[in-house]
Amino acid sequence: MSTSLVRFVSRFLIVCMIGLPLQVQAGLIGTDEVVSATQAAAARGTVASVLNRADVAGQLQTLGLSPQAAKDRVAALTDTEVAKLAGQIDALPAGADGGGLLLLILIGVLIWWLVRK
Amino acid sequence: MLLTGCVSLPQSEALRAAPPQGVPPRVELTQVPFHLQDDFLCGPASLAMAFNAAGTQASVESLTPLVYLPGRKGSLQAEMLGATRRSGLVAYTLAPRLEDMLREVAAGTPVIVLLNLSVRLIPIWHYAVVIGYDLDKREVIVRSGKKERDEWSFGFLEFFWQDSGHWAMLALPAGRLPATASEGEFPAAVAALERAGRAPEARATYRALLERWPRNLTGLIGLGNTEYALKDLPAAEQAFRRAGEVHPRSAVALNNHAHVLAALGRLAEAEVAARAAVALEGPTLPEARKTLDEILARRRP
Repeated sequence: MSTSLVRFVSRFLIVCMIGLPLQVQAGLIGTDEVVSATQAAAARGTVASVLNRADVAGQLQTLGLSPQAAKDRVAALTDTEVAKLAGQIDALPAGADGGGLLLLILIGVLIWWLVRK
Repeated sequence: MLLTGCVSLPQSEALRAAPPQGVPPRVELTQVPFHLQDDFLCGPASLAMAFNAAGTQASVESLTPLVYLPGRKGSLQAEMLGATRRSGLVAYTLAPRLEDMLREVAAGTPVIVLLNLSVRLIPIWHYAVVIGYDLDKREVIVRSGKKERDEWSFGFLEFFWQDSGHWAMLALPAGRLPATASEGEFPAAVAALERAGRAPEARATYRALLERWPRNLTGLIGLGNTEYALKDLPAAEQAFRRAGEVHPRSAVALNNHAHVLAALGRLAEAEVAARAAVALEGPTLPEARKTLDEILARRRP
C-alpha cells in the first residue's frame, strides 16, 4: 500500500476519532469563540482546528504515544497551541535534564571555539 | 560575574537600577516539595513540585504519562500547560519578565521556567522551578536537576532563560488569580481549562476573575457556559443576562441567553434575545439563526 494512501487513511481515522469539537448542547456557543474574538487570533475555523489536532495527534503517536494517550493530550490544548505544534513538534523545545550532558557539550563548544579562533 | 562582561542582560540590569516595589526583600517557599529530576524527566518533576504546592497530589510517576514524549526524550511547553489543565489546575504563562516571576514567588506561587543550558545551535532544554529570591544578594532560589536547593544570580538565570523567550508558567488552584494576571491574557487561560473538560474548576476561576474584572466578556460567557454544563440553569441565565447587559453588541451573549431562557421555558423572552442575536449578524450568525428557529418551532408548533 502506498504511503500516501496510508497517510490519508490514518488521518481520516484520527479525524473520526477526535470528532468535531465538542459542542455540549446545540445552540450554546463556546467560550473559545469569545476568546479568539477578543484576542483577534488568526481566523482559525473549525476545519483547520480539527485538521491541526489530527496532525498533532498523529505526530505524537509517531513519537511513542498510544492513540488514546495522543488523543487525550491533544484534547487538553487550545487551538492556538495546537496550531503552533502542527508540523513543528520536532523543532520545538522539549525540556529534558541535562546536568552531565551540559558540561560535556560546553567543553566541546569551548574547544571548537578555541580551535576556530 | 564572568558572563556579564560579554553579554547584555537588560532585565537583571533593570532590577539592579530599580528593584521591584511592594514585595518583601527575601522570599523562600520552603513548603514546595522537591522531586528529583531524573534523566529526561525534568518536565514531570517540575510539574509535580508546582502541583504539590497548589495542593494537588502528583508525582513524577503519575505525571510522566501526561507530559513526557518518548520520541523527544523531553516535554513540550504546550504539553506542560495541557497536563496542568488535565490535573484541574489553571495553567498560566507569565509575561516574559524577571520582575513578574519575582512577584509570583512573593505571592506564594513557585514558577516553572524553561532554560537552554547550551548554545542556540545545539540547545539543551531544561525546566527548573523558582521557589525564592533575595533582592539584596540579587539571586533566585531554585529546585533544579538533582539539587533540592540552588542559588543562581539574576544574571545567570537571565542568560540561560533568554533562548526560550523568557518562558515561565504557573500551576494555580481553581479560584486563584496570579499576582501578575492581566485582563488580556488570564481569561483565555481559564477558557483553556474549561475546554480541557474541567468545568467545576473553570467555574470557580471565572467567578474569581469576575470579582477582579466584573465586566469581562470571556469571564461572563465562560461562567454562563460552565454553570450550564454543571446544570445550574438559573445561574447560567443570570450570567448570560449580565453579559448581554454589559456587552449589548455581543451576539454570543444574546444567543446563549436565548438558549438558556428557552431551556427554562421562558420562550417569549428567549425569542426577543434570539432575534437580537440574529440582528447583530457576525461570525456566529448561523448558530444564532438555529437558536431562533428552535425557539420559534417550540412557540408555534
